Formats: sequence, C-alpha cells, structure tokens
Amino acid sequence: MGFKEKVSSGKFLITAEIAPPRGTDWGGIVNSISPLKGKVDAFNITDCQRSMVRMSALSMGKILLDKGYEPILQLTCRDRNRIALQSDLLGAYALGIENLCLMTGDFTTLGDQPEAKPVFDLDSVQLIELATTLNSGKLLNGKELKGSPSFFIGAVFNPFSGPYRLQVLKLKKKIEAGAKFIQTQPVYDEKVAKEVSELVSSFGAVPLIGLLPIKSLKMANFIKRLNPSSVPDSLVSALEKVKDPARYGWEYTLDLARSISEFGRGVHFMLVGKPQELANFIDELNGKGEG
Amino acid sequence: MVTVKLKPLFEIAQLLKPYTRVFVIGCQLGSGRCKNGGLREAFKVAGYLELHGFKISGVKSPGGTCILERLSSPERDILKEAESSSDAILSLACGAGTQLIAENVSIPVITGVNTLFIGVERERKYFDEYCVACGDCVISETGGICPVARCPKSLINGPCGGAIAGKCEVDPSIPCIWYKIESRLDSLNSLSLLERKVPPKDYRSWVYPRRLVLEE
Repeated sequence: MGFKEKVSSGKFLITAEIAPPRGTDWGGIVNSISPLKGKVDAFNITDCQRSMVRMSALSMGKILLDKGYEPILQLTCRDRNRIALQSDLLGAYALGIENLCLMTGDFTTLGDQPEAKPVFDLDSVQLIELATTLNSGKLLNGKELKGSPSFFIGAVFNPFSGPYRLQVLKLKKKIEAGAKFIQTQPVYDEKVAKEVSELVSSFGAVPLIGLLPIKSLKMANFIKRLNPSSVPDSLVSALEKVKDPARYGWEYTLDLARSISEFGRGVHFMLVGKPQELANFIDELNGKGEG
Repeated sequence: MVTVKLKPLFEIAQLLKPYTRVFVIGCQLGSGRCKNGGLREAFKVAGYLELHGFKISGVKSPGGTCILERLSSPERDILKEAESSSDAILSLACGAGTQLIAENVSIPVITGVNTLFIGVERERKYFDEYCVACGDCVISETGGICPVARCPKSLINGPCGGAIAGKCEVDPSIPCIWYKIESRLDSLNSLSLLERKVPPKDYRSWVYPRRLVLEE
C-alpha cells in the first residue's frame, strides 16, 4: 500500500523528514534511515531547506525510491519560475515520484548564499493549483500533456504564525487548490495539536502534526525564537531542571505522538534523530513493540 | 518619489579621477526631497571635490532631471553649459535622470548616487518602499496596501508562515505587511476580499524596458 492509499485507508500516518547531502555522497543518509524501512510511511525530502544549497531533492527522491522508500518531494517557489516548476514536476513523476509537499520556501537572504536572486514567481497556493492542473492533463497555459501525472499533493501550515485569520484563510485556499494532506511546523502542546487536527480536517485534508524532538535548552530557545508561542514555558523549565535534556525532549515528543495517535490522523517527524529508537516507537504505536 | 542614496564622497572622487573640470547636476524632485542629491548635496559634493583638486565648472539642480525639456530647452540649456565647460558631469539624479543626461551629451557622465526605490516620506527623514511598479496594481483588493512591494516574497494569496511575532522573517525590524492588510480590511469590513484565490501574476507587465506614449 502506497502513501496515498494509506492516507485514504484511515491508518495513523507517520512521515519523517530528511535533507539531501551537501555534496554527492548520499549513501550515509540512506543507510541511516534503514531501521525505519517499512515503518515510516513516507519521507519528506527537503528542497534546499533554509535556503542552503543541498543536492537536488528530486534526485534524492529517485534514490529513495530505488532503495525501497516512499518519498514526498518538497518543492518551493524560491528558486524556480513556473516554467521550471512544471518541468521539474513532470520530470519527478516520470521518475516515479508521486507525493508532493508544496510550499513558498524560505527567503534567499536567510540562507548561506544570500546574494542569490529570489524568484517567487508563484506562491504556495498557486503552486498547488499548478500541480492540480498537471494532474488534469494540462500545463498552466492549457496545453495538453502527452502523459499526465497523478500527484498526491500536500502542503504546510504554521499554527504559530500570524495573522491567524489570514493563515487559516490561506490554509483553506491550499486545500481548495488540491492539497490532500497538511504537515505542520513543530508542535509541543497537545491542545494545539488537537485544534490544528480539527481545523485541517474541517477543510477536508488530513493533518500530520509536525514533531521535532528538542535535544537541549539551546535548541528549545532557538525554536522559541522562530515560533515564540510554540514551546510552552513548562517544557522550557523542565529542560532546565532535568539531567538529560535530550532524553527528556525525546520522551516528551513520543508522549505527544502517543496522545496524537488517540485523536489525530498522523505525525510528521521533522528530524529522524535516533532512527532505531524512532523505529521501536513506531512499533509500539502500531502495537507491535514491548511498550 | 524615487529615492536615492549618495555614494561615499571618496568613492565619487575615485570615479572622477580621470577628469579635472566637473559639472555637478542634482535633482530637486526625488534626490532633493530625500536629501541625497538635491542642490544642497550637489554643493556639498562640489566643495569636497574642490578640496580634492577638481575644478567645479558649475552646479545646477533642475526641478526634474528626468524631464528632457528641463535639462535642455532654447531658453535654458544646462546640458550645453555643462558640455562646453567640463570634462565630465557628475549627476546626483536618479538612474533615470542620469541616463537622460548621458544620452544627450558627448562628455562622460558619472553617477554619484545609488537609486533605491519608489517610496514615501514621513517626518522628513523616514523613507519606505511602497511600490515596485509591477504594472498590474492589486492594491484595491488589499486595503490599499501593496503586498507585492512590501512583502519580500511578493505574496498575494496571504502571508507566509515565517512571520515571527508579527515581524517579517526577512527583516525583523519591519512588521509583516499582512498584519497591516488584515487590520485595514477588517476595519473596512472587507476581509472577505482575501478569500479569493489570486491567480499567478502576469509578469509581462513587469518586463522592462516599459514605455508609455500619450495619445495626441
């Protein structure tokens, strides 16, 4: 059963995120996720995340497919105009990549090559609509395709960004444009996870709540800087007290994932971190582990 | 207005090094308004250049250096005056005005400013970019506030997910413009304007060089 079928089957979904290498050596990354084979339902492959050059996500997606993993290709509007986006999407599908996660993308100046020319020809809503148009057998200009894709389209949502009403309006537009699943920015609060799950479901898409285990107080503060309201004060003060913050952060995330599995549709691990432990945890969630 | 920023004076002197007699032309519109290239700055630069061994053959600042007839007409011809008396012209007008000078004289024209943006002025010292002249204005639907010019990603379907505590992730010293758009449309009871999916922009209106020809 592929990712798309799993989503419609109602199964509790687990996705995880990997970044292609800075260079051409992809072997280490593929080896590192081997404990997760058959456990993580699909792997997001980031597209030069935080505007830092990495190997093409499309190439990495093909490598994952060849190695028996199901990829979700992330594609941003930052570096490609509509001509390149259509071309890359058709190319991705021809190589067997069916799942997409489409987003605007981080701004160029935030990365490690801030001199680059930003593109942003389309925005995320328009990119999702573009993928839907390709699915219907046409290019953006209406020309018929010789062989059309059948993408399973996803998008992203940040529950902590504002203005909230407009974030919700945009989320709705993304889903109306064709997004079937929504992956969120990292959530550290069950209440937020529940609200977001309900919100996304109410618009007709499947929510995958983002989880990013906190390894240290420093990391908690970093995430707090990006999304000030996302990290509860109680988590920060607990991290200050505990002897092993990394262990605490990991357990905290797994506890949250357990709760989400009670009411939600899925989780998205934004860091593979400890593949064997994550694999054991997934077994536990699926009722196969020792608990 | 078009805002400009005066280049460092030592840099200007460096650019003018091959020449001796220099004619300085400012502009009383944008450059003068933002105090980086009007008559006052033209005299200031001229003074600096004189101290550094240049001979200043003239200082002029018309009200609109980007208007050919203000530079050169039968009654008043700044360009002829500059051309006949100088080795080079230093222009403090915006990129448009400076080019207009350059294509109408036979001597070299050096610019003393960097042209920044089309913006507004407040309290005589704050200048902000409000328009990128995209050629396809959307502000009637966004509360009169332009997300094309005032969002670094030019997003027209709503904000990205990157604003941190209401501030733009690209420049945390400015608020995310979508907060302004929201509160403006809210006060006008028109938030529903943002529910429409805005189709991709037609960038043909943004392909330069653009022209405008008035009908007779």
